[in-house]
Formats: sequence, structure tokens, C-alpha cells
Amino acid sequence: MTTRGARSRLRVGVAKLASCDGCQLTILDLEEELLAIAERLDIVEFPEASSLRSAGPYDVLLVEGSVSSPDQAAEIVELRRQAKTLVTIGACATAGGIQALRNWSDHDAFRTAVYPRPELVESLDTATPISDHVKVDAQLVGCPISADHLRELLAALLVGRRPQIREEAVCLECKRRGYVCVMVATGTPCLGPLTQTGCGALCPAFGRGCYGCFGPREQPHAESLARTFAERTTGPADVARLFAGFTAWTPPFRSIVDQHGGPPGRTPGGPATKEGVGDARR
Amino acid sequence: MVSDDRSPFPSWPSAAPAPTSGPAASAVASLPAAGPWFLARANLGVLIDLLRSDGRTVIGPTVEDGTILFAEIASADDLPAGVGDVQAPGSYRLVTHANRRVFDYTVGPQGPKRWMFPPRAQLSVGRRDGGAVTFDAAPTEPARLALIGVRACELAALGVQDRVFLGGPFTDEDYRARRGNVLVVAVNCTTASSTCFCISMGTGPEARGGYDLVMTEVDDGFVVRAGSPEGTDLIARLPVRAADAGLVVEASDAVARVAAAMGDPVPTAGLHDRLLAQWDSPHWVEIADRCLACANCTLVCPTCFCSSVVQRSDLDGKVSASDRVWDSCFTVGFAKVAGGNFRTRYRDRYRQWLTHKFATWIDQFGTFGCVGCGRCIAWCPVGIDVRAELMAIAPPLATRAEAAPVLPVATTPGDYVTGRVVAKRPETSDVTTLVLGDLDPAFLAGRPGQFAMVALPAFPPLPISISRFGRDTIELTIRAAGPATAALTSLSTGDQVGLRGPLGTAWPVDRAVGHDVVVVTGGIGLAPLRPLIDALIAQRNRFGTIHLYYGARTPADQLYREELRGLAARGDIDVQLIVDRAGEEWTGPVGVVTHLIDRATWDGSRSFGFVCGPERMMEATAEALEARDLSSERIFVTLERHMECGIGLCGHCQVGRLFVCRDGPVFSLPQLGDLLGREGI
Repeated sequence: MTTRGARSRLRVGVAKLASCDGCQLTILDLEEELLAIAERLDIVEFPEASSLRSAGPYDVLLVEGSVSSPDQAAEIVELRRQAKTLVTIGACATAGGIQALRNWSDHDAFRTAVYPRPELVESLDTATPISDHVKVDAQLVGCPISADHLRELLAALLVGRRPQIREEAVCLECKRRGYVCVMVATGTPCLGPLTQTGCGALCPAFGRGCYGCFGPREQPHAESLARTFAERTTGPADVARLFAGFTAWTPPFRSIVDQHGGPPGRTPGGPATKEGVGDARR
Repeated sequence: MVSDDRSPFPSWPSAAPAPTSGPAASAVASLPAAGPWFLARANLGVLIDLLRSDGRTVIGPTVEDGTILFAEIASADDLPAGVGDVQAPGSYRLVTHANRRVFDYTVGPQGPKRWMFPPRAQLSVGRRDGGAVTFDAAPTEPARLALIGVRACELAALGVQDRVFLGGPFTDEDYRARRGNVLVVAVNCTTASSTCFCISMGTGPEARGGYDLVMTEVDDGFVVRAGSPEGTDLIARLPVRAADAGLVVEASDAVARVAAAMGDPVPTAGLHDRLLAQWDSPHWVEIADRCLACANCTLVCPTCFCSSVVQRSDLDGKVSASDRVWDSCFTVGFAKVAGGNFRTRYRDRYRQWLTHKFATWIDQFGTFGCVGCGRCIAWCPVGIDVRAELMAIAPPLATRAEAAPVLPVATTPGDYVTGRVVAKRPETSDVTTLVLGDLDPAFLAGRPGQFAMVALPAFPPLPISISRFGRDTIELTIRAAGPATAALTSLSTGDQVGLRGPLGTAWPVDRAVGHDVVVVTGGIGLAPLRPLIDALIAQRNRFGTIHLYYGARTPADQLYREELRGLAARGDIDVQLIVDRAGEEWTGPVGVVTHLIDRATWDGSRSFGFVCGPERMMEATAEALEARDLSSERIFVTLERHMECGIGLCGHCQVGRLFVCRDGPVFSLPQLGDLLGREGI
């Protein structure tokens, strides 16, 4: 196990589809190790950080964002062709992201209501994770991804080992850090028991329930928690809202949202919030 | 679980020796060694100051994030004066008390485990230089700690972890170093939560060693005893006086009351074998339908010791730090190997946890892995109650309704003690309640659901349910249905009757603690349930919602009408009456009592059901309750049969393999199986 020399540095690219660029910023958040990483990896494409552009092929390509337009659907196929290893990063790329809430609504009605010239907007009915379109080799979940997970992935790539990222509920991190369970102590609904760890239990640290930004952990038992929300915390009316967040389109959460009548505020055949639409028109 | 002289909790390992000279030491010599002393509440701060001036970091209870939790405290002002807690499955809330007591709560979200067995601890740093590798163990330099407010169950848990980490052929030296640096000020519990079951596990509510000081809170302060030379030394430096007998009694009474109120929610006799025999129980699947496998139960558990090693490497893989972190048998990776997972399903993981805590832990470490602190119950996000699951999977042996706590008197048929009618009350046209006094004390210690054999010379003895346990009386509610009952109901005040008992099994009130309760009955069937209702009311806050559904032929056939009105007026019990035939004055519902259940909207999955009436009615009621998601293990009925001996010898009352008098009359549905209603009248 030796470090790759300069001549054999991995060619790494970063690309984006429909997303906010927050996950790319997490790469820059590595700060003190950024230079060391740049010495060891040949980062040839990184639109958030550099105007230098380079087409593939890439040894490793990190992609953020969901597939939300016909262009992106074509682009991801091409990117896949250029990448030896394709890693999806963030809730949009791995789960469809917050924009996947539109998958429950009438997309054309939205487009017509929001844009003065909807015919100029080319978008798909749905926002979907990249794995719905091409084979994905690895993924980092989260909105945004965890800098620690990213660092671990890069360190593992450099040495040629398997990344060690724990698959467990947020609850374990809460307990290790000594945070009091908000669900038990205040009756605040919390997705922590179902959600993949990685954020450091950020929301419970501030007395808030987990929003599920990192998406469902392996084998989550969402039905039982949804029942408990309905019986003990919010009542049945709010269950869909609780699961309809950044990772709503993942199968375990989607099934709960479906069972509870879809995301709240959804007006089939029309936009979600009429006031918001009015503002956009003015 | 254990006797004092064979305590499973090792004495303090390598605590710093007490000073043997100087004024403090000579003061010690002049006082009785073990106390008890009295420390005024206003002087508790002196203890904290002393501990701090001894160079100890003081960890004690303090209000934070809506809970009372262990954290570093600077003075007595940080203690939770006048604050208490209310705990139930899946729920913890603070309440304010009128008093200024500082230990008037039970156990918080996590015990002192994290100071002995930290959630994350650095183990070593590995380095690779060319072909050479080195590993440097991380140094352990634990702080000198004082823990204040440690409860009996938590002390027991420290003892369990001592066995795990220090008792085997290989030991955890980090744990040893931390453990040896801790001074413990324990507190005996003078209050209990609905989730507590230390009595069952034999660990509390009174601390039994493993402390330096132990305090019991009384009105104005604390009755204090020392448990180690260091504790004795502290006493000598505190403004204490000898506790007088009144204070000592006040303190021990308070602890005894907690013990009495808790009951025995998890009878542990034979539990090891009972549980391991249920490897294939269908109930594991039922639990897995609720369990989130979120690991909270194991992380709040004061004895759970599972951990994993995580590594953080530099970019070149040359330097790598290893940390030990708390892990749990509920996480998906915990039993994973290349090629598969030994415990893929939630039911497998729950079974691993439960059988470890209550069975295989004994094989490994000679003690239960559970101390009855109840944290896994309160801090389960979906409120799974380990006590109820244990009783459902591995019910107690022999009689499964509650065994009688006291020996009956006059067990030999024909050998009676007497009671005297001290009052008499007509209930309906043919039902009379006799209030009996002048009793053998055994009758006063009877349990709801038990009965007495009642006799007058020349008449056959009759089994009569005890319809109330008073302070020094019991009540019998009797319908004049034949000559013997007519003779009883026509007794006058001052007359005597012959009594044997109390006999039979009881409604398992304690097992229902922390749950909702549904009481369903008809006609005179209310009589055997009345003591149960009394017990529910006496500890109203230990139960969830309570429903009482009572059917009668006509409004005039209802027993205890005044009391029913009083119950309904309380507002915290749902009392619903129904009659077969209404008179003009009746405005309530008409029909059979099961209609009330069918019409209800509550979810019975957290309820216990107690039913008394004709067998056909109980059968229909059980069916209706099961349709509301009550599990059959939590439905109890009481059977009526011809009885003469009351002790399982005369053979009259047999139903299948059961003697109703001895094995019953209170049975759980699974005990009866298909016997319920088979012979019905």
C-alpha cells in the first residue's frame, strides 16, 4: 500500500446536475487538508472552485444533483461513460433531493403558474436520483454531505481501501454525545431513529427533531415510527409532512408519504402554495 | 436476586486510602463508624465544596434540556431543587414540586456509565514507516471524580460493569483507572417512576454497598451513612449531627413505601430458563413490528458494554488513530461478516438483547444484565416496555395470574377463623354487601381478585369474592340466590361468620403499571373487580387511561351506584354503563357490554384488560378486546365454579387441567386456551 506518485495521480472530476452546489462547497470546506488533497489527486474538473475545465475520462467522478431535465438525463449517461468510478454525492444525487417533492404534483401546472413563458423551460416531470439512470459505484448521502465522510472517501481512494462509513441511526450519535432525546423529553417528532448518521446529530443538538437530511439508514422500520408520530406527537395529519423532506423520494420515506396522502400543500393539478405563486407573477 | 453477604457488586477498587492522621482522622475515631448522621439541606453545599477542594470534579444531577441529567456541578445551587420527573414508556417530563427537595426524582436519561466507560475513547495511534509499523497506546489520565446522587440501580449497574470489565481473565485497564478515581455519594430512592422495577431485579430502592456515602432525603435534609473509610473521613469534615430515631424511621419508611408501591412487575423466578425456552416464540415477530432497531435502549442502559473500534487515517494511510465508540447489538453492522449478517432481522436483534440481559448474562457474569432502572422503557421512542415483553414471552411459572403474597389462614377445610358483620348495605333488591371486621390480619393483606370460603354452621361453605379490602375490614357482596346466600345476607350487625382465606390468584395490577387499563364486567361481576378499581385509583398516576365498562340487566340491577357516580365524576376514568332493559329514567345506552368496546375508538395495543361476568360474556368480551389490539397475554378473566375446599383438593372446580380455586380464579387468556366458555352455563 503506497501513495500514488505524481505521475499516476488519480484524475478526479466534480460535476453537477440539478442542485444548489452545497455539496461541492463541502469539498472546499476540507480547508486545511485541501492542499494535501490537491497534491495527491489531479482535480481536473471542479466548476465551483475553478474555471479550468477538462473533459473526461476521469478515474473518479463526483456528481451532485438530481436528474431534473432532459439535458441532464443525457448528460449523466455521457458522464458515466467518462468515469471509471462514479460517486454520487448529496441528497439530490442519491435521493432526488427536495426538488423531488414535485414528483407528487402536476408538473405542467407548476410550470405554467410560475413562469411567464413556460415553453422556454425544459424540465422533466420528475426529479430523480442518478442511480435511476446509470450505474453508481459509491455514494455519499446528506444535505449537504458530511466533510468527514468525504475526507474518508478520498483517503480510502488514495490508499486503495474500503471507506469506513458507519451505517447506523442518528440516535447513536445523540447518545454518544449526551444529547437528550427530543422525542421522549419533549414529544418532538424526530426522524433520527430511521436516518443514516453523519451529520453529528446536528438538529437534536439544538433541541430540534431530525429532518432526515441523510436519508434512510439500512433497513429502516419507517412504519413503526410513523405510527408513533400519529399516536403520540403530531397526530396523523402531519405524518406526511414529517417524511416529505430532503430525502422524501427514497423508497422507505416515499411509502410513508404515499400512505398519508402525499406531501402537504400539494394541490393535484395546481401549485403547492397559491400565495407564493402570486408573488412570482408580480 | 442477591443477598447482602454475597453481593455481586465488588467493593470499591483501589480507592485512595483515607488519611490516617490529623484532626479529621481523630474526629472520625470519636464518632460511631457507620452513622447514621443528619445533614441539613442547607449544608449540602458544604459537601460539594469539600469534594471540590479535594481536587475532585463533581458530577451530579442538574436540570438541563428538559431533564434531570448528570453533569458537572459547581455548587448545591445546580441541583434540581423542587423538580421531579414523570416517566412512562416513551415519555419523560419534568414537573415542579411544592417542596425544595433535591433528590425527589428517579433516574435521568443516562447514568454515570459515560464517566467510567466513555462513549468515545482513543485507544492507540498506529504508524507505518517504510516496512516498519508502530502502535502507541493512548494514555489514560482520568480525572478525580465525585458522583453525587447515584441511585441503587445505578450502583448495581456499576457492579455489573465491574464484573464485565474487571472480573474476567482479561481486564479493561482504562476502565479500572477511571473507576478507581471515583468517589460515590449514593441516594436511596424516596420516589419511583412508573418505569422503575428495581424490586424485581433485586437492586433497589435502597443502596446496598459500593458507595462512600449514602443519603436518604427527609423533610429538612438527609440521613447520611458512610460506606468506606473515605466516606467516614468526609463525614468527619461535614457539619452533621447524629440522626435521632425519628429521622431514621422517617428515612427508612420513605424507602419502604417506594418498594411497596413498585410491586414486582417482572417475577424473575426461573426467568433464565423461561426465556431461553422461547427462542422460537411468535412474540419476537410481534415486537419487531414496533422495534425501530434504533439502539436507544442499549445506549441508555447502564450495563450495556458493546463497542466498536473506528479508525481515522491520514491521506497516505501512514498514520491512523483508533477510537473505541459505544456500539449496539441493534446496529446493522454489528453481527456482519464478509458474506452475510448473523442477525439480519429486527426480531433476531431484539431477541439477542433481551435474552442477553435476562438469561445469558447470568451464564457469562453470574448476574442479570438488567438492574431495573427502566431507562430502556422511558427512552424507547416507540415506548416498548421490556417488562411487558418479558411477561408476554416468558410468563411466570405455575400460576400466571398474580400469586398470593400472604399465606391464607384456616386452609384446612372445616377449620375456620371468624369475622364479625360491622355494617351491612343493600345494593339491589337481592344483593347485599356485608362489611366484616374483627378479622385475622391475613384477610387484610389479600389481593384484588382473591376470595374467601365463607360459612355458617349448618350451611354449605361458599366461595365469595372479596369486594373491598379496607383498613381493618373486608367487604363481601352477596346475591341471595339460595338458602346459604340468603342466610348470609340476612345476618345482622354484630353476627359472626366463618372464614377461610384469602384464597386464589389475584388480578395482576402491578403488571399493568405504565399501561392503559380496560375493566369490563356485568351484573354482580363488578364485585370481584372492585378491589382492582380501588387499587388503580390508589395509584392513579401509575396507569394510562382507564376505561370501566359495566353492563346490567336494568338500571336497578347496578351495584355500587353511588360509587360509580363518584368514579365518573373524577374525570380521569372513563366510566360507561349500559343496560339490557332501560326504564323511563334511563338515558344511557341499551344493549350488551361488548357494544361499548366495539363502539370505542382507542387503540388497545398498550392496554391490559380485566374481565368478569358469565363465561359467554367473557368470551365475547375477550374477542372484542382482541379486535381492539389487546394481546391475549394481557387479558385476564376470573372463573366461577363450584368450590368446597378452596385449595385444589376436593376436585369440584376442575376445568381441564386447572383447579379454578388454586390455579385461579383469575387467569390470563393463554392460560385457559380454549377452556374459556367450553363448559359455559
